[in-house]
Amino acid sequence: MMDKYKQAFQEEARELLAELESALLELDQNREDRELVGRAFRALHTIKGSGAMFGFDDIAAFAHNLETAFDRLRDGRLEATPELINLTLAAGDQIKTMLDASAGRGEVDQARSAGILAKLSRLTGASGEGAKTPAAPLAGPMVKQGVEREWRIRFKPGPNILINGLNPLLLLSELRELGELRVRIDTASIPPLRDMDAEHCHVAWDMVLTTASTADAIRDVFIFAEDEAELEIVQSAPEAPVGPGRTRPGAQAAVAGSEIRASAGASAVSSIRVSTERLDQLVNLVGELVTVQARLGEVATRLDDPDILEISESVDRLTAALRDNSMSIRMLPLKTTFERSRRLVHDLGIELHKDVELTIEGAETELDKTVIDQLNDPLVHLIRNSMDHGIETPEVRVAAGKPPTGTIHLSARHSGANVVIKISDDGRGLDVDRVRARGIERGLIDSSARLSESEIFALIFAPGFSTAREVTSVSGRGVGMDVVRRSVEGLRGSIDIGSRPGAGLTVTLRLPLTLAIIDGLLVRVGQAHFVLPLANSLECVELTRQDVLESNGKHLANVRGELVPYIRLSEYFHMEAARPGTEQIMVVETEQGHYGFVVDQVLGDHQTVIKNLGRLYRNVQVVSGATILGDGTVALILDPHRLVQNVVQAAAAKAGRTKSGVRPRTKSQEREHEVVL
Amino acid sequence: MAKTILTVDDSASVRQMVKFTLSDAGYTVIEAVDGNDALSKLTNGVSLVITDLNMPNLDGIQLIRKVRANPSYKGIPIIMLTTESHDSRKQEGKAAGATGWIVKPFATQQLLAVVKRVLG
Repeated sequence: MMDKYKQAFQEEARELLAELESALLELDQNREDRELVGRAFRALHTIKGSGAMFGFDDIAAFAHNLETAFDRLRDGRLEATPELINLTLAAGDQIKTMLDASAGRGEVDQARSAGILAKLSRLTGASGEGAKTPAAPLAGPMVKQGVEREWRIRFKPGPNILINGLNPLLLLSELRELGELRVRIDTASIPPLRDMDAEHCHVAWDMVLTTASTADAIRDVFIFAEDEAELEIVQSAPEAPVGPGRTRPGAQAAVAGSEIRASAGASAVSSIRVSTERLDQLVNLVGELVTVQARLGEVATRLDDPDILEISESVDRLTAALRDNSMSIRMLPLKTTFERSRRLVHDLGIELHKDVELTIEGAETELDKTVIDQLNDPLVHLIRNSMDHGIETPEVRVAAGKPPTGTIHLSARHSGANVVIKISDDGRGLDVDRVRARGIERGLIDSSARLSESEIFALIFAPGFSTAREVTSVSGRGVGMDVVRRSVEGLRGSIDIGSRPGAGLTVTLRLPLTLAIIDGLLVRVGQAHFVLPLANSLECVELTRQDVLESNGKHLANVRGELVPYIRLSEYFHMEAARPGTEQIMVVETEQGHYGFVVDQVLGDHQTVIKNLGRLYRNVQVVSGATILGDGTVALILDPHRLVQNVVQAAAAKAGRTKSGVRPRTKSQEREHEVVL
Repeated sequence: MAKTILTVDDSASVRQMVKFTLSDAGYTVIEAVDGNDALSKLTNGVSLVITDLNMPNLDGIQLIRKVRANPSYKGIPIIMLTTESHDSRKQEGKAAGATGWIVKPFATQQLLAVVKRVLG
């Protein structure tokens, strides 16, 4: 391999010597030409450098002296005299002889070489010296130096390390090749986001390396970074091995403290009873704290003081953690509630002479205690209904080709910030015609009204509505579903009915996880602020005037190829305000699919403490509460599901009315708009 | 994908050695004879530049400055080959933005160790 390089160098050196010669001859004609001096210098420089690389040490040493002379010439410290030029020409010839000798042709006259160098040093006034001995080869990374020792290394690279193309992580992995490495990152000097230059390196590393390599070998890894970096390599005292990184005394104490606490905790009782009242109080206080934090954030942003901003951000983080924590204390699994239904099903089965099996799914799903407490009644109602009206007697079931034992299935699962609870049975389901007939009978709908199936089913939630032919002791008095709806709506939930005639009924309850504080997205429409629950929000895209024009008046936006229908909140709430050139669409996931809400501006996420609206607003369906913003103003919390539902129904009603249909809930919706305004 | 290294040197034998050593280690090597040639051959596909300092037309220091001034090649590692053991030239290179250096003469293992240090 090396021979190939030698061959290449031989050829190159000869070319360089020819180049040197021509430069020298031209220089003789034109002594002041710096460019010629430069050419000669480079030729000598390359002969020296490459010569040393490929083992032509004698040539490298010889050329080094000439190079030094031409370096001085270049700097103007020496003049290009005919004597010097002639001497260099002779030196070039000598190098050629040396090349020949190394290729096995002829001998080198060492005396002649010495003579040339002696004359050269007389001319330049410099003492002849050999080429600097090549630097000692880098110690191989794996060279073991005997005993393993522990080194503490602190490495804080200069800010420009990345710009200069050095990746500090590669240096760490190179260190890792030397031995066992424990690394701790020090992020203390990361500046606030606003002041951060993303191309700079802001972190430092504290490491402990166990290796047999020497301090020099370790230092060598950092050689490219060393100048600008802060680098400390200290051998740990062998009798006191340290933990990972440079643990500060305080930190150590803290760690020790938490260990003690942890071990104490393990032996103590694993849970304590706390009165619900105290928990409620805690959540109320956290709610107040969140509101105050919002004010602090507002003030900090206005003052724009980095110190206050930093405090505000810390408080923000802590509040969020405190909120989640105190919320989680109030979370209970649905297990108890669900299990209670078993007894109910059992007792009712005996009373009604029906054989019913209850299956439960997702009982571990957790829900706010307040919600669970208020869930019990609706659940009992719904199960009773299923048992009484839904599930047939064994004889009827067998006649209908069903197994004699009926099944009621209770299930719960999380869906965003909601919990979806389903109560389904395999009974006879709802009889659409009977419900409809009953509705007409009770004057709830016009006999000519054309209603969709789900609209007809909605009738059973009307007060006093019952299709049961006879009133039993269990149900049929027509108070059940009305009460269920009220309770569920009181919990800011929604209820839906799905029926397969002859095959069963499914009631779906959608309940919020918590009634106290949610993560919301704060948006602005005109001068008003609204909060949309963050859990349902998918993304935020822009809606330009151009987009609006291109959609031909239809409320549809193209979100990466998907057509998303949208509701313009300013239109929905009849707000007269100039629309900005570019509006923003919050794409929200609802039961009806993806829907967009067009707002003037999305302001950002907001820890939303839910405050109940007064009794005056009880009929407002699309607003699930209100919250107080940092500046003291009030923002309404919107219920996207309801909003979409209302818009869809209103559109259907509009279409229906032209066909002389009358919608049962249209009136209340119109009233609702007025109330909101 | 093999990483591509641009070697810039006016000495054919050094280029050849760098090329053979790095090709053997699995890298793709592009050669350039001076700074101007290097600039014309530099693309975003190049992961590392190894340049000599003393070169005609556009020398190594100027090459480093030009590469660093071009946002397209932000953060590309540049290794300079120096024969001058005296610090001034090395400092000049570092100030221009060189990532590291190799002092000539060097052995192939040294070259590989340095390349590994900056390329991983």
